[in-house]
Amino acid sequence: MNIYQPQLALVTAVTEETPDTRTLRLELKDEALRNAFAFHAGQFGEYSVFGAGESTFCIASPPTRKGFIECSFKAVGKVTSALREVNVGDTVGFRGPYGNWFPVDDWKGKDVVFIAGGIGLAPVRCVIWNVLDRRDEFGDVTIVYGARSVVDLVYKRELQEWASRSDVRIVTTVDPGGQTDDWKGEVGYVTPVVEATAPQAQNAVAVLCGPPIVVKLTLPVLERLGFADDAIFTTLENRMKCGLGKCGRCNIGPVYVCKDGPVFTAAQLKELPAEY
Amino acid sequence: MTSADPTRGTYFITEDDLRALTGELLGAGTEVIAPVALDVCASPSAIASSACLRPGVKPIDIEYRALESAAQLNLGSGLPVLSLKQYFLPEYEALCCWRQHGTEIEIEAVPTEFAPRVVLAAKPCDSAALAVVDKVMNWDYADELWNGRREATTIVNLACPVVDESCFCTAVGTAPDDAKGADALLTPVEGGFLMEATTDKGRALVEAHAARFTAEEGAGGAGARGRQAAEERAAARARAAANLEIDAASVRDWIDTHFEDPLLAALGVRCNGCGACSSVCPTCHCFDIVDEEEGIGKGTRRRCWDTCQAPTFTLHASGHNPRDSQNPRYRQRINHKFAIYPLKFGEVLCTGCGRCTRVCHAGQDLVEILQAIDIAARRREAVSP
Amino acid sequence: MSDTVTTEVPVYAGVAELRRIARELLDAGDVRVIIGWEHARRGARPVFITDAADADRLIFDARCVHNLVTYLNPRRDNVAELGKIGLVVKGCDAKAVAGLLREAQLTRDDVVLIGVRCGGVLEEAELPRAAPLGPENVAPRCFGCDNREPELVDHLLGESQPEPPRPLTTIDERVAALDAQPLEKRWAFWTEQFGRCVRCYACRQVCPLCVCERCVAEKSRPQWIEASPHPRGNLSWNITRALHLAGRCVDCGECERFCPVGIPLSLVNRKLQQIVAERYDYAVSDDPEHAAPIGDYRLDDKQEFIK
Repeated sequence: MNIYQPQLALVTAVTEETPDTRTLRLELKDEALRNAFAFHAGQFGEYSVFGAGESTFCIASPPTRKGFIECSFKAVGKVTSALREVNVGDTVGFRGPYGNWFPVDDWKGKDVVFIAGGIGLAPVRCVIWNVLDRRDEFGDVTIVYGARSVVDLVYKRELQEWASRSDVRIVTTVDPGGQTDDWKGEVGYVTPVVEATAPQAQNAVAVLCGPPIVVKLTLPVLERLGFADDAIFTTLENRMKCGLGKCGRCNIGPVYVCKDGPVFTAAQLKELPAEY
Repeated sequence: MTSADPTRGTYFITEDDLRALTGELLGAGTEVIAPVALDVCASPSAIASSACLRPGVKPIDIEYRALESAAQLNLGSGLPVLSLKQYFLPEYEALCCWRQHGTEIEIEAVPTEFAPRVVLAAKPCDSAALAVVDKVMNWDYADELWNGRREATTIVNLACPVVDESCFCTAVGTAPDDAKGADALLTPVEGGFLMEATTDKGRALVEAHAARFTAEEGAGGAGARGRQAAEERAAARARAAANLEIDAASVRDWIDTHFEDPLLAALGVRCNGCGACSSVCPTCHCFDIVDEEEGIGKGTRRRCWDTCQAPTFTLHASGHNPRDSQNPRYRQRINHKFAIYPLKFGEVLCTGCGRCTRVCHAGQDLVEILQAIDIAARRREAVSP
Repeated sequence: MSDTVTTEVPVYAGVAELRRIARELLDAGDVRVIIGWEHARRGARPVFITDAADADRLIFDARCVHNLVTYLNPRRDNVAELGKIGLVVKGCDAKAVAGLLREAQLTRDDVVLIGVRCGGVLEEAELPRAAPLGPENVAPRCFGCDNREPELVDHLLGESQPEPPRPLTTIDERVAALDAQPLEKRWAFWTEQFGRCVRCYACRQVCPLCVCERCVAEKSRPQWIEASPHPRGNLSWNITRALHLAGRCVDCGECERFCPVGIPLSLVNRKLQQIVAERYDYAVSDDPEHAAPIGDYRLDDKQEFIK
């Protein structure tokens, strides 16, 4: 067995998040591996449908929940389209966990601000649950989440669950024109909503994930709010194949995103060529 | 004539004995890979070659091939079209096979252990490249397929007289008589070759065929043949150095700090973005992973060579492409080879074989590009000591 | 090389004129870049002149083999961003321009074409100087060239040139030799040729008429062509490439010249040209109005393949 050979995983649950996005719950078939499997929030895996190939996503479930992993993806390419066709009881391939992670342990005692756009909530969700499962260790928790439209909001049940908690402040927003008549959240792009929400930056960290444009526009807003570059964390989503620092595909400047990332601080991002 | 003592460094072997040794290896069932001169006019390709009609011309292709006979072993100076890379990172290779039974999947692993084999008359730039690529193939995760082939292979280099004006091995930290990445080095001398075994695998090869070697007079090649070898090797090094001399460390630092410099940013204008340079490069190791179905419900997951010069290399499924034109793609090639890899792994990802330059009919010339970067780097050092 | 008799070397007249026109076009702002050939360390190669002061770097001799029309290809965004192009073309190259016009990849006003009268080119560009053309070194495709003085140009330079010499074997002769072989021999021939393919796609990248935004080789839904360079994938790639150029290929030979493993692509290209000529009475020209079979509809087209 070589490092590129995947483990087999059973699909145990499927959640249709939006018309083109779904979440799979996977359990490694090998019992010993399943019991030993551990990862950190922010790490990713290579998921495969045999015959279609492998695709890279973060592990969207938190490391504090054992025995399974979840991934959420939008069906845009060959592999994600094939993953969209799998059902509970099917077998897929999995390799991982790979990459670095959010330094959640370093955030003890701090406020945590989560900002996500679209499917960017998947890596953030992992950290949110990781933090909420250890709620006492952190200060205020703020979540700002936006999607193109109401129908494009992912993890709808969890958004409600977070909204119902008194120890979480959550703002959800949809792009102008994406609201429905009964939409109770904000209407506007993520970036101005973050600015209006104005989480305080003192003794706080921010986790920001989303489409490249959302990340690019929101970084200066966080700076204006007083977040230091090394207190802002994001993930890069460069195209990957091996996930192991071999195939060369995700190399930008001095980093291999799969090994040196996918989690980077805004300070690290500024040092990189804009090839992400 | 005394047999070789493999605990000592340098041996002499005649060409006849070298071929006899090759025959012994082949006879024992060992795969032997070596440069072979393929007679184009004796192959089906002859129909396509007008050169076969030319009087006095015998077009040959030099290729590394698994030998069928000792006579095929080519001990000339020609550079094989493709590097030795293909025997360690094949153009395509299986990573695993799968078979589907209903919702169940069965995975068949591919072997990661390989039968012992020997490479003879390898080009020093090609073996050095393997040692360079070893670094990334063992960065935290060990690539068992690469390592398995590396461990199974004993490589004997043949000192190179330097092929042409596009060779520049000495500029990037190797040499035409380097044994880096290899287990032994042959140097042509009067009547045969001097053989220096540099690793245990090299010494084991000498030991296993001790009767074919004689211990060379004077340790370290101080005898007449040793002097002849040393002279020719020094002359070859000088020829390579005359082609290109750069300070690889300042080139590395300059590239690292001048990402947006027009010199780097506009390098790709005449480049066609074909991956020919990557294909022939002994150090380019980037690969793709693809699933290929072979009938219903079964197939093979393979990796195959890929190139950072192709637009699809970095193309996201969403359509976003971080390197969306040939200029940044060509810069990536230079940056990866001469700055990123050296900074990360301490080795230049280039051994100066010159294949990329020779294969590029659009005129992308790595010798010229490195010269320009070296000049820029020196100029900067001159103004800011 | 030192005994080369320089007087026999075709020093194509018109180089001084070429440099003058390049300077004028740049100075007047009619174009932002002149794409032509220069002499570099390893021989002739493409050059991009953006400053009129550099116009003297332009050359034209028998080493100027490259079909520079590949740089007009719409996917060359790093070339397009240089601004309006003045392009130096031989007659064969002008046919490729016509191809782009025919297929609406280019409008005529997008480019200033500087044509050069041509007496044939060498097989190789990477030579220290132009050698006299002879049967053993002339690019075989030049034999019988029907467009040595391009018409699709804004300027036509130089004097009329003699016909290129007949090569040792012509491409047609080689195709005929292959055709004369039994099926198994031909199969062995192409199996050996395509077996060497490393799927670098140099043939596609350099082709002035491979204009697809997304090549069929890169399409994964469905996967038409397997990505691995195994015999099966190589065969489907090479046959698909050739078929996509049937009736479009201008025979510039760049695919073959760029192939790092020496696959004789001109043979398969020529075979398809012969079939297109026979079936549709069509030969590629530099007349953009002369519609290619692939882009033309006629009621009297032979349709016997639909059975």
